Amino acid sequence: MIVRYESWGAWVRLESTAAVVAIDREAVRALGLDGGDTWNPGPRVSAPIEVHLAVTARCGAGCKGCYLDARPDGVEPGREALESSLDGMRDAGVFTVAFGGGEPTTREDIAELAEAARTRGLSPVLTTSGLGLSEARIARLHAFEQVNVSYDGADATYSEVRGFDGAQAAERAIEALAAAGVRVGVNVVLTKQSFPHLERTLRRARSLGACEAQLLRYKPAGRAATIDYLASRLTSEQRRDFAPTLRRLSGLLCTDGDFHLRIDCALTPLLSADAEIMSDPARLSRFGVFGCEAGASLAAVTVDGHVAPCSFAPATGLRAGNLATGYGSDGELARWRSYVDAPPEPCASCAIRGVCKGGCKVVSTFVSGGHEPDPECPRVESYREAAARSAVGFAKECA
Amino acid sequence: MTERGDITEERLRQVRLGHGANCSSIGSVVDTLFATATVGAAIFAAIVAALATEPVRVVQPGPEEDDSEETGEP
Repeated sequence: MIVRYESWGAWVRLESTAAVVAIDREAVRALGLDGGDTWNPGPRVSAPIEVHLAVTARCGAGCKGCYLDARPDGVEPGREALESSLDGMRDAGVFTVAFGGGEPTTREDIAELAEAARTRGLSPVLTTSGLGLSEARIARLHAFEQVNVSYDGADATYSEVRGFDGAQAAERAIEALAAAGVRVGVNVVLTKQSFPHLERTLRRARSLGACEAQLLRYKPAGRAATIDYLASRLTSEQRRDFAPTLRRLSGLLCTDGDFHLRIDCALTPLLSADAEIMSDPARLSRFGVFGCEAGASLAAVTVDGHVAPCSFAPATGLRAGNLATGYGSDGELARWRSYVDAPPEPCASCAIRGVCKGGCKVVSTFVSGGHEPDPECPRVESYREAAARSAVGFAKECA
Repeated sequence: MTERGDITEERLRQVRLGHGANCSSIGSVVDTLFATATVGAAIFAAIVAALATEPVRVVQPGPEEDDSEETGEP
């Protein structure tokens, strides 16, 4: 296991079980360790435990909602620059590095980069579209802990989200990766069009050999930062139905332990529509559910080597090689992680505020113009509807 | 390093399962939220067992001091 001291105890990345665990100081002492200076009084900023590294901005898929606006002639950093970023992650004590872009499997040196991450104590994982994933390319992916294929649904569902018919290529990639012994999962972008087909999508992915599905909220970044976002995002009704859908699909698909459902940080506010979850917020925390961790437990590194709060957010001036020394003092990163300290209502009184952290700041910036309560959170919607009704009633009383 | 003592489940603040391999947003396993208490207990027992047996390596990034409020509290 790898132990990283924190003011409250330590993060531990286990080797025999795929898990990252937060343990308290007493447990650290039980391991025969002591946090030393890290446990001394005084405010400290923790380094990220996971970093998303854009290893290329080159991609021929042309997905209409690409958050990086990747293109066939996109920028591709040299290996030396990427290894410098990996050095920064090692120095900061990062656990996981997720390779993306751009299409990372088009890099000839992707296996060497994965090995470079491993030699620095990092767990490398990778996301691919699966397009053009030949046997030769798959052979380069064995050094990754897991590879996720973007798969939003079969047939027309896929093309409605991505803008081209790539479903069969993605399915072939999932099957081929699983057959080659590469641990494979799928990323499923949830839009108004893909959400109704989710059960079918997940069943299909599992039948092809996927061990888990990560559900992703559609976000207004890159090519998706247009007015079309408003037509593609989940509807208010779908957002309220999200948690019950998770519960139902977990019962249908995840009972034998061979297939897991994950949600991304931006979907966590949607759990606020579920009374059972809201009645036991400690359970969310105990099972390690993360909300917006941008600039906190999560950071991203752009193709030009700068640190961003997350992959969807603008880069800061901080170079990835200086992650260990500059993460806590960068003002923009601090702005992203500070929202949760004193948010306005309804976040202020929300039972899952400590986990959700106010929802997706990329969405709130696009829709509302700044770091505000996530406008697509069901609880925020209800709060604003009630406030509007109250204002109308007051206006009528005054009339 | 001294000899290990017992770590009980109560000492686990958070358990984040799986590798996750998405490159754009951080994910969390959620089917465990809806699992039975027996399944949940088995997960935590497996983690405690791993903590008791795996070799330990410490990484010490030495997080910076900062004037803002403490963050990273799980």
